[in-house]
Amino acid sequence: MFFKKKLLSPIKDSQPKNQDPIPETREKMSSEFKARLQNSADILENEIGSSGITIFSIGTLIDKTMFHQDIIDPIKDLSFNSIQTVMEHLSVGEIEKSNQMEMVVKSALDGNVIIYLEGETSVLLAKIPSRVGRSLTFAENESHVIGPQIAFNESLMTNISLIRNYIKDSDLCVEDFVIGSRTNKSGAILYMSGIASEQMVNTLRQRIDEIKIDGILDSSVLMQLIEDKSLSIFPLMSLTERPDKVCDLLLKGKLAVLFDGSSLAIICPHTFMEFFYAMEDSNVNWQIGTFYRLLRLIALFFSVFLTATYVACITFHYEVIPQTLLLTLSESRARVPFPPIIEALLLEFFLELLREAGARLPTKVGQTMGIVGGIVIGTAAVDAGFTSNILIIIIALAALGSFVTPSYSMGNVIRVLRFPLIILAGFWGLYGIMYGFCFLLLHLLRQSSLGSPYLSPFYPPRFADWKDSIIRLPLSFTYKRPDLTRTGNENKYDPKKAKEKNDLK
Amino acid sequence: MKVQYQPKSPFLLSTFLIIFIIHANQVGIGIHGFQRVIFLEAKQDAWISVLIAGFATHIVVFVMIKTLQLYGSTDIYGIQHEVYGKWLGKVFSSLYILYCLWVFLIILKNYIEVLQTWVFPTVPVWLFSFSILLLVIYGVTGGIRMIVGVGFFSIILSLWMFGFIGYPLRFADYDHLLPVMESNFVSILKGAHKMSLTTVGFEILYVIYPYMEKKDKVQKYAQIGIAATTMLYLILMLVALIYFSPGQLESTIWPTLSLFKIVRLPFIERTEYVAVTFWLLIILPNLMLYMWAAVRGIRRTFGLKTIRVLLVFTTCIFVMSLFINTRLKINRFNDIFASVAFYFIFCYPFVLYAFALLKQKIKAYKEKKK
Repeated sequence: MFFKKKLLSPIKDSQPKNQDPIPETREKMSSEFKARLQNSADILENEIGSSGITIFSIGTLIDKTMFHQDIIDPIKDLSFNSIQTVMEHLSVGEIEKSNQMEMVVKSALDGNVIIYLEGETSVLLAKIPSRVGRSLTFAENESHVIGPQIAFNESLMTNISLIRNYIKDSDLCVEDFVIGSRTNKSGAILYMSGIASEQMVNTLRQRIDEIKIDGILDSSVLMQLIEDKSLSIFPLMSLTERPDKVCDLLLKGKLAVLFDGSSLAIICPHTFMEFFYAMEDSNVNWQIGTFYRLLRLIALFFSVFLTATYVACITFHYEVIPQTLLLTLSESRARVPFPPIIEALLLEFFLELLREAGARLPTKVGQTMGIVGGIVIGTAAVDAGFTSNILIIIIALAALGSFVTPSYSMGNVIRVLRFPLIILAGFWGLYGIMYGFCFLLLHLLRQSSLGSPYLSPFYPPRFADWKDSIIRLPLSFTYKRPDLTRTGNENKYDPKKAKEKNDLK
Repeated sequence: MKVQYQPKSPFLLSTFLIIFIIHANQVGIGIHGFQRVIFLEAKQDAWISVLIAGFATHIVVFVMIKTLQLYGSTDIYGIQHEVYGKWLGKVFSSLYILYCLWVFLIILKNYIEVLQTWVFPTVPVWLFSFSILLLVIYGVTGGIRMIVGVGFFSIILSLWMFGFIGYPLRFADYDHLLPVMESNFVSILKGAHKMSLTTVGFEILYVIYPYMEKKDKVQKYAQIGIAATTMLYLILMLVALIYFSPGQLESTIWPTLSLFKIVRLPFIERTEYVAVTFWLLIILPNLMLYMWAAVRGIRRTFGLKTIRVLLVFTTCIFVMSLFINTRLKINRFNDIFASVAFYFIFCYPFVLYAFALLKQKIKAYKEKKK
């Protein structure tokens, strides 16, 4: 926390509240309004015929159709003597009254039009923001075969309504907040009251309140600011674009943070194991779900340790390799001029280059990358005596293993972890790998997510939660909410009734 | 210094974890080679020595917990302060701290010796001890909950090793066990006495006791932990006895590691390489628990800052690990330790219990008088 506070010392000191009143004449109001917005070119000033009303707004932020239909049309042929009567004629839902210039400017930046009547001390603020954004699309980054296909988009309102559509319950709390002294973006904390722990909600709220920063543009940045320790390589909270996943976790007692302008929701508290779950695990049969999870866990170990083990065994412990295998290995390595550690680092580096290039290039060119990589890695490198066949198989396996992780941010971590482990293995053999493993274990044990242990349910051991961890037992067994969330309401449903089948006889 | 010590609730540990703490702290470096040492004394009846040592451990643990229960929530530093008074208490607590550091050094040295003998003959000692001490510092600064977590995982993650016990059993010769009770009772007892280096570890109870959530359940779970360790030692002893011939066993320094030699899997041979390096995870909780106990003792008795003490201790250990560098020195070091540990761990708890009882009786008598 010390580190965080130092980093985020307030950049723009909060100014004393400006109590400037609304100017009395139209000319003064106009020049004041423009001056405060730095005479921007998109300021609109509409004088409405004989009514004596002038409407100020920022043209790029308001909905033009609504502006004409609901604001200008009803009042253009009338004349008014007080601002109150104007209000009665407007057919806009959100109208406020204000008598402070500061507030007026702020709301203009939020998509309001300012309705000004000469001689009055207050103005009307009518909210008609233009909706700029895209429509809802498929979940492309976390795609599932079975399950809803929809993903969040960048609008906070749309995202909240998506969640409200899944959970039609009066207990769903939506708390809003505004962040960034310059961007002034709004966001929302979502949780199920009565299920989520009060203490966690308070902690999260406090962490968000404490952030003093000029601007945050995406929830991924917000997540880095509210994580428990900012120095760890592991993601301590999760990002997802799937509303169904958010709802599932909300029902388990977790908290979600949505942020305007970001299509990713933050979920916390999150455990290490949960990064290896996909929503699809619960959408398929429990046997298949368990199989997927075991597969991913084995892939995790392969991905992190396999290349390092190869390097360790070839460099120091060839006694460990059975004779028949050793023969093949030495045959394929006979022409390779480098020591194993260089060979492995080179290939891993090459593969990372390919991956990064594929991710940054436009899709059409990206396909060529695959072909180039395939040819170069697959045949040319071996033919040239650059690497051994077996290492290519191992590296490919490790790369595949890192891609099966459902969470992209965890996949990144796994890919990066390989490098220090390969280096350790190159220096100290199996002892180096074990050393790295012990360090990782210690490191993971030290982490916490919103104050709850990161390695739960394994440590501290919560045996009841093991039913839905590496394995996934049928739904009738997993009737409890996870202990991690310290929920006030433990059972999802009555375990006794869950096993009954009341079919017609 | 307060006698009572009640940690805040987020630092408390579930009581059943004491099984893992005791088991993880007992099983460490001694398990590599205890079979030979005991066999030299008790011959084929060595397994009886293991049983006797296990039984004695149960009693000692029982007394230890009885002593702790006299004072509610406290550790050995608090009790010694209360029983012996301010100054003598400090002396005894310092002795206990020294003992913890000594065990630490023994474990570290023996493990490095095994590593050098089996896997890396040319890598210098300082590199190993430096790297391991770094891990220990990182771990101990994480706090007791984390240290216990390492112990928990070290047991869970090393269960696979137990599966390999089937390999030596294929070459078992059960006649090696016969005749039973051939050695006289004295040599069996001598064998049990030699077990002390292997069974130590349960004395961590003295320090960790206040961190347990339900104090009345500690007795039950601690005994389960001890029983688990005794079972493990008994099985390993029996396997070594029936697999090795008597002559072989006498000349095998690390029978447990040698048992790994014959394990042969389709993708891996010479599993002892994997086992020896994997042992890092098994000794890590031992090292961290002892270091934590020592640092904790300094904090309790002298009220010094934890992190500085930790750095001073690790530096001392590092320097000392450089000087004990030959097999003979290590052996001598182990022997001295074994005899001291026997009195300190197996006899001292009874003395402390007697003193504590006496002290309480006197106190109660005085209050009555008033």
